[in-house]
Amino acid sequence: MSVNNLAVQLEGVGHQFAELRALNQINLSLPRGMTMALLGHNGAGKSTLIKVILGLLTPDSGRVDVLGQRLTSGKKPSNVGYLPENIHFYDKLTGAEILRYFAALKGESHQRVAQLIEEFGLGYAQHKLVKGYSKGMKQRLGFAQAILASPQLLLLDEPTVGLDPQASSFLYQKVAQLKRQGCAVIICTHELNLVESQLDVAMMLGRGQCLAYGTFAELAKASPLQVKIALDGLAALLVTHPYLQAFYRQGALHCAQSEQPALVRYLTTKCQRFDFTLHLPGLAEIYHHNMAQMQHCSEQGLGFVTEPVLQPMGV
Amino acid sequence: MMSTIGGAIWRQPMMIIAAKELKDSLRNRWVAVIFGLFFLLAFSVTFAGSAVSGTLAFPSLVSVIASLSTIAVAIIPLAAILLCYDAFVGEEESGTMLLLLSYPLTKMDIFLGKLLAHSGIMLAAIVSSFTLSATILLCFGQGYQWQQTLWVFGQFIASSGLLALTFILLSYVVSLRATEKAKAVGTLLSLWFALVLIYDLLLLALLVADLGHRVQWLVQLLMALNPTDIYRAINQLATHAPMGSLPLLSQFQGGALWLYGLMLLWVALLAWLTLRTFMRKAI
Repeated sequence: MSVNNLAVQLEGVGHQFAELRALNQINLSLPRGMTMALLGHNGAGKSTLIKVILGLLTPDSGRVDVLGQRLTSGKKPSNVGYLPENIHFYDKLTGAEILRYFAALKGESHQRVAQLIEEFGLGYAQHKLVKGYSKGMKQRLGFAQAILASPQLLLLDEPTVGLDPQASSFLYQKVAQLKRQGCAVIICTHELNLVESQLDVAMMLGRGQCLAYGTFAELAKASPLQVKIALDGLAALLVTHPYLQAFYRQGALHCAQSEQPALVRYLTTKCQRFDFTLHLPGLAEIYHHNMAQMQHCSEQGLGFVTEPVLQPMGV
Repeated sequence: MMSTIGGAIWRQPMMIIAAKELKDSLRNRWVAVIFGLFFLLAFSVTFAGSAVSGTLAFPSLVSVIASLSTIAVAIIPLAAILLCYDAFVGEEESGTMLLLLSYPLTKMDIFLGKLLAHSGIMLAAIVSSFTLSATILLCFGQGYQWQQTLWVFGQFIASSGLLALTFILLSYVVSLRATEKAKAVGTLLSLWFALVLIYDLLLLALLVADLGHRVQWLVQLLMALNPTDIYRAINQLATHAPMGSLPLLSQFQGGALWLYGLMLLWVALLAWLTLRTFMRKAI
């Protein structure tokens, strides 16, 4: 994939805070128009990575390219929108004043502000002080701020924390809209179920290292977690088909992902059963498995997984 | 052409930040409180300054400046502290500092924008209230010489402006180093208490104990280390009337220029310290 088609390209990025290795050999190639979830435990290095991409932190090692620009010390990328985690805007200013302030700093017009206020449904509250805004309204205001200058890359840090499902859904609709316009979006979040249904790829960080990166299907495929096959009347089948007994556990069939095609073939051809349900490991399971594995490696003094489960691919 | 240049200046990040800070301070009513305090101080000293001596007339110029500077030395730093204590720590707590820094502007823009707004508010309050005080004396008082009154008030306003600037910058340094707003305001009020009230008492004790005047140089040096003492000294020199408990204040070698130089040194030192702290601060 051409470098110009990449919104973010990181190569061997590392950063040390005193005793803490915050980022270690991070590689990432995120194409334009893709949405990515940045996952990890608290202190995994997610915020540090976002600061590196924003040009607010110069890494100790590695190369950072954002929207085709090489970020060197102190250089900030242009055309990037950002919504920090848990932001509280100036209480004594109105929603419209806040957007106009940030618009002025980005050289955007009042017209653009009016357009966004309308688009984000804040028209009725635009002249109210922000201290009277609900959490959802503040997040909508923050999101509008982030896309003031029609960014080509958008970074959202925990944008849906504390939001009701309707407000979360509204934000993800906007993300989908931006994606269609060619904007790459990186969302730092802990809401794994929401991410799986809304975004394209995920990167899992653990103690500054990339544990996995890929589309959700690729992550599932690469995961050592087993596939579960559930079907009615399994007990009867086990009696007549001893082959299945090797996979039977807790009322369902469990197999490695590599064994899944053969097992499915057996069920359909030999058993004439087509009514089974296939459960691939979900993002939440993969995440918890990776975190547990990392914890285990740490306790055993084995070090962590040094290579991500999947290398960045040309999605 | 001029309007284009003017428009370009207003579109500078520093000016945009300054305008926002001004609006924020107006909404927080800090501007109203500061202007109210300063006008109250100017009016009460000008009209009722001689009441303590049993008369109801305009006090002498020396008395007016002495009274004004005695109260202003406490009020100006306090106003600057209350206006600026959350300038940086407040933005950090709310997350807007991180957001601002992701914008196409520099830390210098943020610093200058805030300084422009805060010093503008303080200077406007100082100039308007004390100019009014001088105008009242010249228009309604008797025996005040125009030239002398303007000179003395000019010095008073200039030194008050420098004192305000010193405490604005001191507040910035503390605000940048503090981890939360409450700690910033606590530290600054302690510093205010120490510099404005306690410091002079300790110096006085030292002077009283030093009957042989052997450590006079040390006292002068210690005074130079406190901007509020330099402020008092400038205004006592301006009226040629050393008074109060520390006549040594006006005995600095080199006179007013030397004292202004010291005040400017404080401003420069604190501005440097603010910028250094801000530039090195991890985001």
